Amino acid sequence: MFERIVAHLRAPVHIDPAFGERVMAEIATLPTPTRARPAAAWRRLAPLAALAVAASVLLLIARPASSTRKLQFVLVAPQAATVSLVGDFNDWDAARTPMRPLRADGAVWSAVVPLAPGRYHYAFLVNGSRWLPDPAAPRASDDGFGTPSSVVTVSGT
Amino acid sequence: MGIDHVGAGASDADLVRRVLAGDSGAYAGLVARYRDRLGRYAVHMLGNREEAEEALQDAFVRGYRSLGRCDAPDRFGAWLYGILVNRCRTAGARAARRGRMFVHDEVALNGASPGAPNAIERAEFADVVRWALARLSPEHREAFLLKFVEDLEYEEMARLTGAGVSALKMRVKRAREQLQVILREAEHV
Repeated sequence: MFERIVAHLRAPVHIDPAFGERVMAEIATLPTPTRARPAAAWRRLAPLAALAVAASVLLLIARPASSTRKLQFVLVAPQAATVSLVGDFNDWDAARTPMRPLRADGAVWSAVVPLAPGRYHYAFLVNGSRWLPDPAAPRASDDGFGTPSSVVTVSGT
Repeated sequence: MGIDHVGAGASDADLVRRVLAGDSGAYAGLVARYRDRLGRYAVHMLGNREEAEEALQDAFVRGYRSLGRCDAPDRFGAWLYGILVNRCRTAGARAARRGRMFVHDEVALNGASPGAPNAIERAEFADVVRWALARLSPEHREAFLLKFVEDLEYEEMARLTGAGVSALKMRVKRAREQLQVILREAEHV
């Protein structure tokens, strides 16, 4: 029975023959993507000790010579086994920005992300399945995907 | 030239380079190459063809917009897979809020003509499998599909999902056990 299920699931599925045309029509309205610039040389990070007192904070911790800024996202999640930062800036890809424990007890998680000026939606993904907006940041209006997220705006000045 | 034939002989890396150089039409080659495999995952993950195609289109468009950040163009497919896995998570959460995860597959059912009992049986089996998959938690369904249907290694699954290898092995094991229990129950209904 199990083998029959797997064989059934591996069989090709029907996708609308016009699917490719629909994708290409949508991307025709978008600007040509460009290769991301190499990361700039950041200044030394600010001390992190003060972060543990906040439930969740978002800090601007360095500004490079260009307009891109380096922000630190922090979440207090003592019970978490893994935490990822997901957002517009990493295509909501949980594998791209894993957060690291700042303290030995694993209660405070941190990730540093360089961001160009703009407005970004983001959230935390705890244990690979639980989505959390940032409790200390403005909540994003529903984007139609049904998952709560937060907003950070990086100014250009 | 049909859209399915764009860049048929080119590597992923070649097509990515062409797109980044301004030839947006080359992206059609990547769409054609990965549409069916990624579509299969989305259909089985979401249990709804319409929502699966929506998530798939969204993944391809996001992939295009972010193509400059694809660090390994020769692994474009794996990179795009990561985007799709996340789109399916958000689409699944949205569908779950509406309380809708399982629908009849009209395409399969329409293909089962009254004079073809085997086709009807296949369509019924497909419905049972889809129903059983929908009863798994999203995490278990995701792990099961990536392992047994997409045939990925645990390390690749960990990269895509953000979960640890041990957790994924446990999810796959439990998903398989739960599916077998669910399907045994279905046989007696």
